[in-house]
Amino acid sequence: MNNGTILSGTNLSKKYGDLEVVKHVTISINAGEFVCLVGKSGCGKTTLLSLLSGLERPTTGEVKLDGTDITKATEDQLALFRRENVGFIFQSFNLIPTLTAWENVALPLFPIKMSGDERHRRATELLEKMELGHRMDHLPAALSGGEKQRVAIARALVNNPKVLFADEPTGNLDSSTGDAIMEILTKLHTEKGVAILMVTHEVELAKTSQRLIRMHDGQVIA
Amino acid sequence: MNLHYLMNELYYQKRRTVTAIIGLSIGIALLIILNSLSMAYRQAAQVPLKEIGADITVQRPGDVPKDLTGAVFPCSAVTISDEELKKIQPLPGVRGIGKAILLWVFDQNRAWIVLGIEQQNPVGPSILRHSVTEGRFLEEGKSEALVEVAYARQFNLKIGDSITIANTTFPVVGLADASRAAKIAVANVYLPLAEAQKLAASSSQLQSVSPFGPNDVNLLFIKADQEKITGLASALKDILGKKTTIGTPDSFLKLLGSLFALSDKFNLAASIIAIFVAVLIAFKTMAGNIAERAREIGVLKAVGWTNRNVVTQLLAEAIVQCFIAGILGLVIAAIAAFALSFMKVNIPIPWDMSPTPHFLPGGGDQIFKTLRLPVHIPWSLAAFAILLSVLIGGLTGGLLARNISKIKPSEVLRHE
Repeated sequence: MNNGTILSGTNLSKKYGDLEVVKHVTISINAGEFVCLVGKSGCGKTTLLSLLSGLERPTTGEVKLDGTDITKATEDQLALFRRENVGFIFQSFNLIPTLTAWENVALPLFPIKMSGDERHRRATELLEKMELGHRMDHLPAALSGGEKQRVAIARALVNNPKVLFADEPTGNLDSSTGDAIMEILTKLHTEKGVAILMVTHEVELAKTSQRLIRMHDGQVIA
Repeated sequence: MNLHYLMNELYYQKRRTVTAIIGLSIGIALLIILNSLSMAYRQAAQVPLKEIGADITVQRPGDVPKDLTGAVFPCSAVTISDEELKKIQPLPGVRGIGKAILLWVFDQNRAWIVLGIEQQNPVGPSILRHSVTEGRFLEEGKSEALVEVAYARQFNLKIGDSITIANTTFPVVGLADASRAAKIAVANVYLPLAEAQKLAASSSQLQSVSPFGPNDVNLLFIKADQEKITGLASALKDILGKKTTIGTPDSFLKLLGSLFALSDKFNLAASIIAIFVAVLIAFKTMAGNIAERAREIGVLKAVGWTNRNVVTQLLAEAIVQCFIAGILGLVIAAIAAFALSFMKVNIPIPWDMSPTPHFLPGGGDQIFKTLRLPVHIPWSLAAFAILLSVLIGGLTGGLLARNISKIKPSEVLRHE
């Protein structure tokens, strides 16, 4: 691993029964790099993202984030690791329907000993950056798709992550809203220097990234 | 645990919350009502005895003389000797004994139901002092009579009059209206115990079938420790014979014939069923609710919530939900208890405790003590029910939360 590498996966495989979804993949991402993982549906890119983010354990191989091997961690250690190091953006936003926009943003901070005011301040700051200052107290049901995804991005950033994992973040949005989200992600990468690993099947969208990794049938092909 | 998240979850997921709360509250309400009803019947069954200041009545059945003249004992109450009395006094659980003599006196022109009572003994029929409507109660050491007001009206007896019973004359010093208060040990005329004992001892008719000593009696009223009543009843039968009639709250309870009154086992079984139903409803609705939230739990874990964080949050939700259900169950039960308290219950008085000879007009009629069912919810039961619902919430919520917290976020968040 060179000094710039923030995330690496070595010889990663994932099997579900007899089905091998990820096959001996070795991958690394540098700090502050924006990488897109592209490939057809079912090629194993979401599974690879899950392995690299610690949501899933590999059948074989090793994942290191900021020099720490996370493949040997317990479930709770993994949760704490995710809380402190990574942020997630999902295709279907995955906001908690009963919490307001700012509460959704503050969700990763709920288990942390921190004053309510501090939580609110951090969430508010991020929502204002996402131009959602006026939607702070709205429930997800009252937000548009683009607004929901911006709330989700704010939630992913609230813990100052080293790496942001985005799984088809524009998949449920129309093209103009999708473009706006991509603009935000690009801005985040350039301004905050956050490393981003984004999964998408749209090659055009992937071109906005610095590096493109192609997957086919569970293997990295380029 | 985040309280705001908890309250939002309960408030915004109304369908889930209301289903869980109503389901459990019905079970809890059922449990409270069943137990309150059972207690109400038990309390009602104590009333006939409490009216005469006792927990147990004792009388021994025997024979009636062929020739009904002068003073005789009813066949339901013959001699209880002084010796037997001395054996009863030290029995464990006996807190006090009231003695009385019930006589039927058949004079030439009139029949009397006479009750000889201890004027100063707080246990037993001396409680009649509160039923004096005119004149005064019997005084210690005086040979005088207190007449039941209805009887006095029928035979135009007034205070200051004299009545002659079995050739003995007594001045009437007061009128009492005991019949409204009590259904047991009610007579036409009340005499001091010593005077009634003299009448009994001097009756050859009575002595011919039931030998009677100067200190003997034929009715006992026992004040006893509540938890020892059953054992005491059995000990009394050992002393006085198996045929002895022992009146206890339990014997009245049996006469009530209600399912709630009949058996502790029924009440226990019904309570267990109510608790089981409550647990089942709580478990089923909570399991459904938690399963619906699998994706949400996945999100929590993905953003860094540990298993313990998830369990604590879900457990707190379940406990709050069940606490609210407990309160609602209590409110439902309180409304039901209020409605049920208007219900009247007729407690049949056994024929052998009725003082009126069955061969006289009205003597064979069944007597009832009618009263409103005293349904109320004791604090202890209310507290138990709420604690139970919180416990149900804690156990079911904890179990389900522990299970769902093991979920892998990648399994539920996968969009393909």
